[in-house]
Amino acid sequence: MSNLWQGPLEKIDDYRFRIPKSYKKGMRVDGIIYADDKLIASIRQDKAMEQVSNVAFLPGIVGASLAMPDIHWGYGFPIGGVAATDIEEGGVVSPGGVGFDINCGIRLLRTDFTYDEIKDKISSLVAGLFSDVPSGVGSKGDIRVSRREEKELFLKGARWAVAKGFGVKDDLECTEEYGAISGADPDAVSDRAYERGKAQSGTLGSGNHFLELQVIDQVYDQDIADAFGLRLGQLTIMIHSGSRGLGYQVCDDYSRRMIKSLSKYNINVPDRQLACAPVKSIEGRQYLGAMRAAANYAWVNRQCLMYRVRKVFEKTFSKSWQNMGMSLIYDVAHNIAKIEKHVVNGKNKELCVHRKGATRAFGPDHPELPDRYKKTGQPVIIPGDMGRNSYLLVGTKKASETFYSACHGAGRVMSRTEAARTIDYNKLLKTLESKGIIVRASGRKTIVEEAPDAYKDVNDVVGVIDKAGISKKVVRMRPLGVIKG
Amino acid sequence: MKDYKLIDHTADLGVKLEGGNLKELFKNAALAMFDIIAQKEKKVNSRREKIEIAQEANDLDELFINWLNELLSLSAIKDLIFDDFDIKKIDSKGIKAIAWGQSLKNYKVNTEIKAATYHDLKIEEKQGKWQAEVIFDV
Repeated sequence: MSNLWQGPLEKIDDYRFRIPKSYKKGMRVDGIIYADDKLIASIRQDKAMEQVSNVAFLPGIVGASLAMPDIHWGYGFPIGGVAATDIEEGGVVSPGGVGFDINCGIRLLRTDFTYDEIKDKISSLVAGLFSDVPSGVGSKGDIRVSRREEKELFLKGARWAVAKGFGVKDDLECTEEYGAISGADPDAVSDRAYERGKAQSGTLGSGNHFLELQVIDQVYDQDIADAFGLRLGQLTIMIHSGSRGLGYQVCDDYSRRMIKSLSKYNINVPDRQLACAPVKSIEGRQYLGAMRAAANYAWVNRQCLMYRVRKVFEKTFSKSWQNMGMSLIYDVAHNIAKIEKHVVNGKNKELCVHRKGATRAFGPDHPELPDRYKKTGQPVIIPGDMGRNSYLLVGTKKASETFYSACHGAGRVMSRTEAARTIDYNKLLKTLESKGIIVRASGRKTIVEEAPDAYKDVNDVVGVIDKAGISKKVVRMRPLGVIKG
Repeated sequence: MKDYKLIDHTADLGVKLEGGNLKELFKNAALAMFDIIAQKEKKVNSRREKIEIAQEANDLDELFINWLNELLSLSAIKDLIFDDFDIKKIDSKGIKAIAWGQSLKNYKVNTEIKAATYHDLKIEEKQGKWQAEVIFDV
């Protein structure tokens, strides 16, 4: 990947770059990339910029084709891309703008423990989590539901899981969309997709999905940290997973359908993986109905994963999870399309906001936030790689310029093949061990592919988000124990 | 089975492969995909399951992606790794084939492939040989 992207790039300010819409015929808006000089140099190393310009072709797109500082080369959309389309102006929805892992997302739990109190238990906790939380490729769980109940799960999301005893009502308030996005249409989900998702509820999956024990090593905003019940030296837990096989199949089903309907709606896109249909078309409506069902399935999945994590802690410490203060801080989706109200050029608009590797980041007073987060803004959870850090931020009012979106992680910088070529497994484990990080994974390959060197430094990425003002740093964590699929 | 080359891609995984004709190209692509997914572990030859596959498309690119994604989907719901293919009939609009698979239990799974994608997809005939490049979402 030594081909430096040669397209036109204008520096707007210290944290933003523009690809003018004059770059390619067919671009309807500019591309805007949030990055500083250091990050933009690495972003230009692959084809991500070209993908930002391709997304600008989408009918109905407003503002700009946006990219967050963790942007990297994806398929169709760049990973770290945000695109909003105006529904009343023929705006489209694209399954490629959500991706195969629909509602891949992340949740953060707090605990009452400090690192010093439980440092001797980390290794047994990691072992317990690795054995009790199903992980790995095609992993299966013990949550089996009938077809009829699966429909209910698609409609009710995490509410279904809580009703089944996999959590409490408070968990729902601390989940984006309260754990169940409305408008799911179980009938828009194909039989094949039902089949592919049926045994995977409550499983972590593989690849970059993980479960992590962390300790807070920096506090940036003491007032908000206090409001969230977080302090220096405290143990936190992060869960990263998505909609598993169900989401892949929904994306495949509707990509096929929308490729067929491109000519019907007279849509031209430079990459077929950007196939799309107007939000108001039958294809668009059905995709959104199926996508929401998959999104709700993902919220059930993360809710059930959290349930298992709490159980492992209960077993280890012989206390109830409530007595260990293991409440949910928040759960965010980072692969999703949402119908949201935004102000564009002074006018109220209903937009379809695609976040492909980007996190919703509502600022203080946003009407969709629960009371507990109205004053602070929405918690924005940004995982880093397994050797460096992760962050908790909050959304800001200034994030209106990105349709209330922030980054979703560190962003890869090295291909999996290069990682496999250049990173030595044993050396890597030793380095992590010397930093006090215990890693367990189903395979060596995953650990090497997900090595810290394969990622940008999350501190740089979050630094840009914070300085650009589209989210605000609250606390930083460092990893103690990592479970990879 | 190592009859393919890996292409560097920041987040995902690309492969480049060849075939003497279209049938071979499609078969090699499927073999490469399952070779990336899993390696056979035990030398037991369990009963092989035979599955008939028919796919239609508007053009060759679409057919190629539909073929691979259909195999991924079947592999996931039936817990099978496909290790041989007999392509009965193929043109740019459709494919009819038989896939043979063995239980996942006999394999060590390395990588989950979520889907084959259209991004940077290249299928071309060069000097009587077919070549393809495809990027998988992993």
